[in-house]
Amino acid sequence: MSELFLQQLLNWITLGSIYALIAVGFSLLFGVLNIIHFSHGDVSLLAPFLALSVISAIGSALGDAGSLGTFLLALLVAIAITGVIGVLLDLVVIQRFRQAPAMMALVATVALGIVLRELIRHLFPNGSNPHAFPRLVEGDVTIAGFTIPLFSVMVIVVSVLAVCALFFMLNNTRLGLHIKAVSQDRDAARLMAINPGRIFRATFFVASAIGAIGGLFFSSYAGMARFDFSIDVGLIGFSAAVVGGLGSMPGAIIGSLLIAGLDTLVQATVPNGASYRLVFVFLLVIGVLVFRPSGLMGRSLVEKV
Amino acid sequence: MAESLALPRDTSNPVVSALTVIAVQLAGALFLRQFLLIDDWRLVIGLLLLFGAALVLMERVPSLEARVEAAFARHSRLALLLGIAIVLAFPFVLEGNTYALHLCVISMLYAVLALALNFQLGSANIPNFATGASYGIGAYASALLALNFGVSFWLALPVAAVVATIFGFLLGIPSMRTRDSYLALVTIAFGVVIHQLLNNLEFTGGPNGLVGIPAPELFGHSFASPLVIFGQELPSQANFYYLSALLVLISIVFARRLHDSRVGLAWNALRTDELAARCQGINVTWYKVLAFAVDAFLAGFAGTIYAFYVGFISPDNFTFLVSVTIMTMVIAGGMDNILGVIVGAFLLTLLPEKLRAFSDYRILFFGVTVIVFLMIRPQGLFPQRLRRYGH
Amino acid sequence: MGLTASSPVVLEGENLTMRFGGLVAMAEVAFTLKRGEILGIIGPNGAGKSTLLNIITGIYIPSSGEVRLEGERLNGVPAHKIVARGIARTFQSSRLFGDLSVLDNVIIGRHTHTKAGVFDAIFRRGRAKAELDAAAAHAETLLKSVSRGLHEQRHRPAGELAQADRRRLEIARALATDPKVLLLDEPSSGMDDADTDALMDDIRAVCAQRPDLALMIIEHDMRLVASLPHRVMVLDYGQKLADGPYEEIRKIPRVQEAYLGRKAAQHAGA
Repeated sequence: MSELFLQQLLNWITLGSIYALIAVGFSLLFGVLNIIHFSHGDVSLLAPFLALSVISAIGSALGDAGSLGTFLLALLVAIAITGVIGVLLDLVVIQRFRQAPAMMALVATVALGIVLRELIRHLFPNGSNPHAFPRLVEGDVTIAGFTIPLFSVMVIVVSVLAVCALFFMLNNTRLGLHIKAVSQDRDAARLMAINPGRIFRATFFVASAIGAIGGLFFSSYAGMARFDFSIDVGLIGFSAAVVGGLGSMPGAIIGSLLIAGLDTLVQATVPNGASYRLVFVFLLVIGVLVFRPSGLMGRSLVEKV
Repeated sequence: MAESLALPRDTSNPVVSALTVIAVQLAGALFLRQFLLIDDWRLVIGLLLLFGAALVLMERVPSLEARVEAAFARHSRLALLLGIAIVLAFPFVLEGNTYALHLCVISMLYAVLALALNFQLGSANIPNFATGASYGIGAYASALLALNFGVSFWLALPVAAVVATIFGFLLGIPSMRTRDSYLALVTIAFGVVIHQLLNNLEFTGGPNGLVGIPAPELFGHSFASPLVIFGQELPSQANFYYLSALLVLISIVFARRLHDSRVGLAWNALRTDELAARCQGINVTWYKVLAFAVDAFLAGFAGTIYAFYVGFISPDNFTFLVSVTIMTMVIAGGMDNILGVIVGAFLLTLLPEKLRAFSDYRILFFGVTVIVFLMIRPQGLFPQRLRRYGH
Repeated sequence: MGLTASSPVVLEGENLTMRFGGLVAMAEVAFTLKRGEILGIIGPNGAGKSTLLNIITGIYIPSSGEVRLEGERLNGVPAHKIVARGIARTFQSSRLFGDLSVLDNVIIGRHTHTKAGVFDAIFRRGRAKAELDAAAAHAETLLKSVSRGLHEQRHRPAGELAQADRRRLEIARALATDPKVLLLDEPSSGMDDADTDALMDDIRAVCAQRPDLALMIIEHDMRLVASLPHRVMVLDYGQKLADGPYEEIRKIPRVQEAYLGRKAAQHAGA
């Protein structure tokens, strides 16, 4: 195994983990709400800007912008605020489209994504330009003679932990069971005294917070925060969820790894691959959906007659 | 009788109803003229409020709406002739304002795109986030023909439409198997692929696009030169104004004829219930692909006119955002309602232009408008109507 | 005409088996339907009644066995072509085109008898319009013959109709395809006794006007099953349990208990 190969492999899994953190949110929200929250990617990528704001706020208040403690605190605050923003968007906009035709909700959330990006541009100081975003951890570890960047290790470990926590929450806690009940049959759940509104809000918080982790990782991976990152990243996260099968968490992860794999492969092997990566990725998306119309792990669409 | 509920009969004086038709059309034209010519954003807002008030009035007093509708149904020929006369005369009342004329051309091209998408989204409820891509394919195909092979505009126009239609068929193939959100993603993916290819391929000029597309000529008259009619000189944009108006007219004829045909009925059937449509003998797969092809065909025409009008095109004219804008025009105007779709196209083209005072906030404003609109009037400005027979 | 001993078989099924994954929804069911015959199908929920209809109409492809219409195999023929060959159906949860007018619903039923495509609609409008006007005229006549009340509401959106009228419209829409075989999936579901009686009269009238039409009716309402069909087939767990005149099958004790229910069994015994 050559050094280069290992590097690409790590790159693949790192990128796949980041996409997966965003894709599971798309899938979770679709499973519970049965609508596409197209702006989920934009919500997720609010987090790096929120983190930068918190850092500078702490910096100006306490004169302590550089320490690790400040940085960690900023990340946690950013994740929490992003979760709350997700809930607020549901309360203000998305819940109005619960009964509407699917296309309405899709177009409305596309517009919502535009609004979120523009808000970053106008509200964040100098928001139109890229802002440097630090690597969360520097340095390498050596495992079995191979040098591995600590950042990749952290991204992969945290992503696995986050996804495991999500699975545990869905399968073993009261809230998780309620979420599953609502996603399977909203009316039946209501009869069992589950308040769907509360479940929707909880789902939005969880999905947005996990997406925020993905957003922070992505900015850290790219070394900067940009208001328009969410166009590509959001679209890829959405594609991963759809390719995997909307509503299926394992599907979202498989879809993310598949897309990240192709992305990495194209960039490593195709001449001028960086320009053509999206062409390959979206041809893959089309190809998968032609042969598996409801995604790789999706519930098949056998209609009850 | 129950019949009278659905078929409003015009019982009033024929002269009054004819005057109603004339008044409504002139008022519409006057409104558009003022809207195009004013600069002050406060006046823009004022006019929009006026427009909103007219809509609210129509909704609050259904008898008024029914009366206007009945008048138009009764004097359809008068309405048509007057409409054509107004469109022909319109450039003369714009005080030679080239920017206003330019906005008219762009609005009309978007009206064609919105009418094209309406076959799919409105008639058959098939999501398509790639109309912008079909528009781009038409523009690039005709521009490449003109630049590389010296093909004239008039030949490039149908050829580009055919090329766009072929891509429309290709895009339609996945629709045989996928549906709803999955199909939406396929069209988004198609749009991204086309945009990225235009952006990266050598022969499409990469991100810089294609420049120097020659202006069309007709009987020795170049479309780049001013248009002289009855001794009145109109700016060169007027050439394209009339060309786009003709395309809008053709699109309306297409849309009406298809809507009132067996094909339109089949699309409406599969919109409501695909399975029930199959069980009435409708080949659902075929009709879906057909909707993609018809959409791409008209979008290809619009793309060609755009390319030859502005003279240079780049991938950024045909992004995902363009497709979303076209979708919004259809939804905001009123699905499956021809008038609504056209009004939607004009409104959403002109609004950002007229709000240049907020230049940097335009996109934000656009996004907020779309969301608010979908929240308060999801059925669109002019909702779909039932068909009538025996007229 | 109508049903006689010598009436030919229009529709027959042989060995029909349907598996969904590991679940067997239908096992080796055979049936015949003669011209002009009315066949009732009963059985508890999940017995495979709707599965049978879906197989016949091409919505499901049977795992094995075959369906023949006038001797021609239907396996693998897509649903929309089966309609053109002469099998029409209604749905248990009536699936009308709710945002279209009543008349449009019936005109859509004429789809297989009209031809105009995109090209005709745009460039040969006269022809396309004449064809559609003829379809509209046909639809009006048909509506009138099925139900005058429905005909009077022909310009209303189908979604606004009352339950009984929705059923009638579904039947009219199915008849517009000029079927040889009409399949009705629980026409009386969600209706009270008075409505069911009226619907039965309408179905009788439809059959009287079309002595050659063969009917297959899935039903739970025993009054309807007792009086309308010539013959009744009983399905259970995807298998055929009995097949014969109502007077015979109602005597089978297992049918009485399990499928007609106690109340219906008393009713049948009364």
